[in-house]
Amino acid sequence: MDNGLLVQMLLGALLGVSVYLPLAAGQLSLATPAFYAVGGTLAALLSTRWSLLGATPEGSLPLPSLGLELVLGGALAGSLALLVGTLVLRLRGIYLAIATIALVEIVRVAILNLPFTGGAVGIFGIPQPFAEASGYLLPALALLALAGWGCQRLEVMPLGRAMAAIRDDELAASCIGINTTRVKLTAFVLSAVLAGSTGALAAHFLNTWNARQGSFDASITTLAFVILGGSRTWLGPVVGGLLLTALPELLRPVGDVRLVLFGLVILLGPVLAPRGLITPALLERLGGRRP
Amino acid sequence: MSRPLLEVRELTCRFGGLVALDRVSFAVQPGEIFGLIGPNGAGKTTLFNLISGVTPATSGEVLWRSEPITGLPPYRRNRLGVARTFQNLRLFDGLSVLDNLLVALQRQPRSSTLAGLLNGADHRRAEQQRLEQAWQLLEELGLTALAERDAGTLAYGDRRRLEIARALATRPELLLLDEPAAGMNPSEKDSLCDLIGELRQRHQLTVMVIEHHVPLLMRLCERMAVLDFGVRIALGTPEQIRHDPKVIEAYLGGAVA
Repeated sequence: MDNGLLVQMLLGALLGVSVYLPLAAGQLSLATPAFYAVGGTLAALLSTRWSLLGATPEGSLPLPSLGLELVLGGALAGSLALLVGTLVLRLRGIYLAIATIALVEIVRVAILNLPFTGGAVGIFGIPQPFAEASGYLLPALALLALAGWGCQRLEVMPLGRAMAAIRDDELAASCIGINTTRVKLTAFVLSAVLAGSTGALAAHFLNTWNARQGSFDASITTLAFVILGGSRTWLGPVVGGLLLTALPELLRPVGDVRLVLFGLVILLGPVLAPRGLITPALLERLGGRRP
Repeated sequence: MSRPLLEVRELTCRFGGLVALDRVSFAVQPGEIFGLIGPNGAGKTTLFNLISGVTPATSGEVLWRSEPITGLPPYRRNRLGVARTFQNLRLFDGLSVLDNLLVALQRQPRSSTLAGLLNGADHRRAEQQRLEQAWQLLEELGLTALAERDAGTLAYGDRRRLEIARALATRPELLLLDEPAAGMNPSEKDSLCDLIGELRQRHQLTVMVIEHHVPLLMRLCERMAVLDFGVRIALGTPEQIRHDPKVIEAYLGGAVA
């Protein structure tokens, strides 16, 4: 397995966690690719246009600039989520899913047509903070560790408990004093911040960035991470993201049949493990504690 | 009489052409146990929904300590001191019994999200206090042994008591109990009756109870209101209600000799 694939797998895991966060509050949002695209586009624009970031003509980038872009990408995506979420989180279930798909489309078409995002070709020659693909392993792992730590903390915090309560019964949650709108919005914004930062990192890793990075396809793929991995603990989408990103590459030797096999895994996963591969019960058996 | 804790004035609720509640008015005094009876479909649960903010009122007013709260969402009313249980039990089935209480205790005391993330001293102290209160409530309602179980796996009677405990965890002044004795046998109903009385003492509660089992209500309540087809047809002490001709007609149909 080469390092490039490992980085992609970690990016997949991060996007899986991003889909998981609203779902942990009972909200089926497919907007993750939109926020990923926003973060990536911002990073691509900043590092190619803004000389203060210190990109060299040879195409390298100082590390602190990468860190700044991760923060800015997350912040921009989070702000967008705050604006959009106030409106769309009034919707429930499948209607919310449809509204968030619309958001993904709007962002895709905007990036395709804005005068400064490079049209269909996109932005290329994005400066590289690392000479090798392996360099990206560390920041991707760090971001995933941060996200995992945050999710783990949520379990023993009022915010996380409120999210779980809303997932089980939103009406009952509001009757015990939980501001359900605010909690759902917080989960949505957290999800967007994570996707935005992931996009910023991915833009550098991929070296080029265009509107196709955040498409409806990606909505479904990232949702599959959570469905296969499980949505009851954050480790589920991490495992789902790692596996489903690696699978098409690992299956490459078998030729064109690989896409059929990939589809079979997505199909059989939920049939054989309806709650996903990683469930709280499984973790309890493995570690003797509830995460 | 002192200033009422809760007052509803001309409260009306329509669902399309159906008038579920028709200009219902009454006041509940601090500390009393107030019963609500009426045949099926009389609008008792709708009235609870309007008081707790779950359903918007078509017209009329809900007053909390003489302040209108008619437009407030349920969570704001709960923070003011209104807590309720549900006729068809709405527990957080995926959470443990203890977590069902901790989630209701999240403002007792409040702690910041940042302190929570960093596991700061404030957060740990607040969590400790929440845990102590949760265990105390579990003990009061006899649920201590079930603390680690998922709420979804509990037996019916335990679920009923857990829902009361969860409502109490929000430190209400007014507790709305929607058919707390439904599905219980006579001896369970008796002990529930005692429990409600005890809880009122210990938590300084005002209680409103919907109950179909009239003898239980007669024993428990200081005053009660009777609803029939959305209209308040009687209001008074159990003794007054027992002899009210309109009530007898609503329950038995037709005139009584």
